[in-house]
Amino acid sequence: MTTGSRVSDPGTRWTVDDPARLAALIRLRAVRMIKPQGFGYLGQALSSAEQVAALFAVMKPGDDRLVCSPGHYMIGIFAAAAELGILTEDEAQSYGLDGSPIEAIGTERSPVADYVCGSLGQGLSAAAGFALADRLKHKDRRTFAMISDGELEEGQLWEAVMFAAHHGLSRLTVLLDANNSQVDGPVDTITTIEPIAAKWAAFGWAARDLDGHDVNAVLKALAEAGDAKQPTVLINRTSTIHGLRCLPPDADGHFIKLPPALAAAAEAELLAELERFHA
Amino acid sequence: MPELRRPPYPTVLKPYGHALVELAKERADIVCLTGDLTRQCEIDLFQDAYPERFIHAGMAEANMMGVAGALARDGFRPFVHTFGVFATRRPLDQIINAIAFPNLPVRIVGFMPGVSSPGGPSHQAIDDVALMRAIPNMTVVDVADAVEARQVARAIVDVDGPVYVRLKRGEIPLIFPDDHELRLEKAAVLCGGTDLALLANGMMLAPALEAARLLESSGVSVSVTNVPVIKPLDAATVIEVAAAAKAVITAENHSIIGGLGTAVAEAIAEAGLGRPLRRIGLGDTFAEGSRTGPYLFGKYGLSTQAITDAAWAALGRPGPAPVAEVIQAEEGEYSPV
Repeated sequence: MTTGSRVSDPGTRWTVDDPARLAALIRLRAVRMIKPQGFGYLGQALSSAEQVAALFAVMKPGDDRLVCSPGHYMIGIFAAAAELGILTEDEAQSYGLDGSPIEAIGTERSPVADYVCGSLGQGLSAAAGFALADRLKHKDRRTFAMISDGELEEGQLWEAVMFAAHHGLSRLTVLLDANNSQVDGPVDTITTIEPIAAKWAAFGWAARDLDGHDVNAVLKALAEAGDAKQPTVLINRTSTIHGLRCLPPDADGHFIKLPPALAAAAEAELLAELERFHA
Repeated sequence: MPELRRPPYPTVLKPYGHALVELAKERADIVCLTGDLTRQCEIDLFQDAYPERFIHAGMAEANMMGVAGALARDGFRPFVHTFGVFATRRPLDQIINAIAFPNLPVRIVGFMPGVSSPGGPSHQAIDDVALMRAIPNMTVVDVADAVEARQVARAIVDVDGPVYVRLKRGEIPLIFPDDHELRLEKAAVLCGGTDLALLANGMMLAPALEAARLLESSGVSVSVTNVPVIKPLDAATVIEVAAAAKAVITAENHSIIGGLGTAVAEAIAEAGLGRPLRRIGLGDTFAEGSRTGPYLFGKYGLSTQAITDAAWAALGRPGPAPVAEVIQAEEGEYSPV
């Protein structure tokens, strides 16, 4: 694959043998991706690892589309893409470096996802546009959108929620990472966004809560959403430090600091975790 | 200017709307979006003709721009319609990130430019050209009459990248002869002159033409140039007519900051031309609500008289400027203020 490949491009291929193991590999690779800088969007990878792994297991390669609304989450998607051969090792290693197209906050030119937003709250509109375009063209593929709970504070998101439901865009599935994290602190201390599922349901969506770190639950829900008669949102309850016990419990989930000693501990812990899958 | 019509101008309804339907007949890739202003933006005609390609986005401009960007990314040519204020101010970040940065062929059509609306500052697009002009990749168009409005959809449909078009709402005057060709790459020099270069577009072309006639009758040699495309500006023509004259006047139905006047100022300054410049438009002020639009054109100095006075002063002519006569318009006709 060359830089610029997107999941829906004809010819893009991958297979996921073990989604749980892929989630563990995403965590390890994300640690290694931010290690050179000593800080970065590791929390987003930790909270979304199972969702990203399940997504790649469910998406139809070279056909289904992926929108990543919070560009910060591209670290997890890049990590998965590298593990699955969609990105090369060199490309993955260039994450966030000067002159690299693999920018730390995903952008328009980021590979892998079909569309990446940097300005928050905009991705669902694009995903709805993709789903609408497919319907106009009589294509039956699915569109997946990754969004985050903090984005629910943006008004545009609710415009898109209403639009997608009104237009009956049932081939649209949203993975909402409810990690209760935003820059200024826990989301629930900044703005009350609950009850999330009830709000989306009231707006005409199929909405359900689930444990976002239970990869089998996410897989099952993603598969079921493929048969929905209305757009579906899966509200994945997660934590930005999940799967990495060495992180301090008060780590800033939006932007985790990873000095060399902590990075070494994190790698050791995640390598040991991966051994479980070889046993 | 023998080939141009004279005011009061005859008017037509929905020249853009009819032309968009005609174009959509040939172009299956055109989709039409509306932000709850369908009839007002002349696209009830499109809705009737091609309901399957007509998309109600509702009063949700941010989402509408995001959806349009995705449709364009997928090969469609979305034409997005609302009033100019709502098309540019509300979804500015969405236009920038979801449309302009990826250089997508979304056509944003903003009706009711400048003080053509008596609806007050919330409805008066006095900064839309400035906002759109500042965005990389964006083409910005302000057409002058129904002959141009009929051509604009076809003229922009294959432009590489996004386009913003502002269009007058309601009765649209016929100023140009029917065979006038709207050219995006070339400003149209309607007549030559050696004293004053008058550059105008949109709804200010009509008073610019009247001011030119009045000034000519008072011994001032005036060139009039219609500049429908503010960006990318045809700087060569601007410099050519400015260099041939002693003073330059721009006239736009917009703030004098960031629009045609600014673009012309930049072009002549960068060319090293030292010409006195007067910009006719809203002088860094909001307008107000009123009963009629023409009252506002008069009050805020977007009139034949204001252009004439500015020309007289810029050229240092002695005595009072000639006085423009009021041109009465019957119902169904249009005259500039």
